[in-house]
Amino acid sequence: MNNLIDFIRKYFFVLLFVVLEGISAWLLFGFNSYHGSVWFTSASGGAAAVARLYGDLVSWANLQEVNAELTAQNISLQRETELLRQALTDATRDSSLTERLVQQKLQGYETVAAKVVANSAERAANYLVIDKGEADGVKPEMGVVGGGGVVGIVYLTGPHHSLVIPVTNRKSSISCRVRGQNYFGYLQWDGQSMLSAYVDDVPRYAKVRIGQAVETSGYSAVFPPGIFVGRIRRIRNSADGQAYRLDVTLGTNFANLRDVAVISTPYKAEIDTLRAQAIELEE
Amino acid sequence: MLEQYLSRMGWFALLVGMQVFVFNHVHIFGYATPFPYIFFLLSLPSATPRWVYVLLGFALGLTIDLFTNTPGMAAGATCLLGLLVPPLLRLFGPTDAEEEAFTPSPRSMEWGPYVRYVVVASLLHGAAFFAMEAFTVREWQSLLATVGASGLLTSLLVISLHLISHRK
Repeated sequence: MNNLIDFIRKYFFVLLFVVLEGISAWLLFGFNSYHGSVWFTSASGGAAAVARLYGDLVSWANLQEVNAELTAQNISLQRETELLRQALTDATRDSSLTERLVQQKLQGYETVAAKVVANSAERAANYLVIDKGEADGVKPEMGVVGGGGVVGIVYLTGPHHSLVIPVTNRKSSISCRVRGQNYFGYLQWDGQSMLSAYVDDVPRYAKVRIGQAVETSGYSAVFPPGIFVGRIRRIRNSADGQAYRLDVTLGTNFANLRDVAVISTPYKAEIDTLRAQAIELEE
Repeated sequence: MLEQYLSRMGWFALLVGMQVFVFNHVHIFGYATPFPYIFFLLSLPSATPRWVYVLLGFALGLTIDLFTNTPGMAAGATCLLGLLVPPLLRLFGPTDAEEEAFTPSPRSMEWGPYVRYVVVASLLHGAAFFAMEAFTVREWQSLLATVGASGLLTSLLVISLHLISHRK
């Protein structure tokens, strides 16, 4: 009997070990279902408080990352808003008087509607890129008009995009006349302001006044006659003193130009020009 | 004597706190989670009765379980470690001090045996812990990597803790 008690005393730790491992196994297998273990695990008060404290600490430590994510989201939302607002403006825009007049002039012409996708405003050589190209029937030397009047002339074409030389480029030279009179000159840009250009070589005996409209003359195959260009702002002597130089406030605002139309009917402008000249001759 | 008990209780609380707040959230390379709380068992004096080892191991593991939602896993593993520490101490401990009580440390055991003692204990504990966890699906290669990495990391931390706590 004493031997048995001694034995138990000596190996009590093994018995304890077996019992405790049994409890562990029971916990491991019996309480792995969530509901059974709620009383034992984090849901019980103290442990829950500790877990919450830890959660708070982690979320505090992550604030910077969260901030960055929010900023990124904000930016993308802002951009989306901007796009939607743009779409709304496009959809509900009221066309101006000039625009309606230009459209009237262009009736019977085929036009390709395009959007300006790049608009360089460097002083010496401004170019526009529009999102229509050869695939859409755009070819070099075609005229481009916008809501405010003449924009420029197509210079180079790619498959889906085209480069346009706008009026505000020193290379640009478009034949113009003062509305109601037949004296014509070439519209050129002085490299100063995006809002103005000048017409040189207007004879001194031409009766021009400040505020008169300047329009395309039709003396080329590019633009039909009579498309609005701008208004006379100032009348000066030209460089050689033999003629007038007219400062013209342009009708097109190149700074926010967005929708344009390419005049794509072949030879139509040419034919119209011929017809106009014939009528003049008959008068 | 009382002071020693208080110090051990302080260590108990400190190790559990560190485990719950810091080390349980360490997963180096997705494998190695260190368990430096076994330092508590490994630093008990060698004269401690074996049933105390087993009981303290169970209590320590259960406390960890309570805070980490792993019912039974740490308790089982640490309880097993409690059973195995005394034989390990006999194996690695100083041979001439067979009957004398000593506190495991590089000073009482020499560096080599002490490091081996800590490494073997860490690996055994890690193996037991992850074997229980592995009742969930896990491949044995990844299990081995986890046990090895965790064991080594645990050893390093235990030795560091020892050095920190015994700095003069």
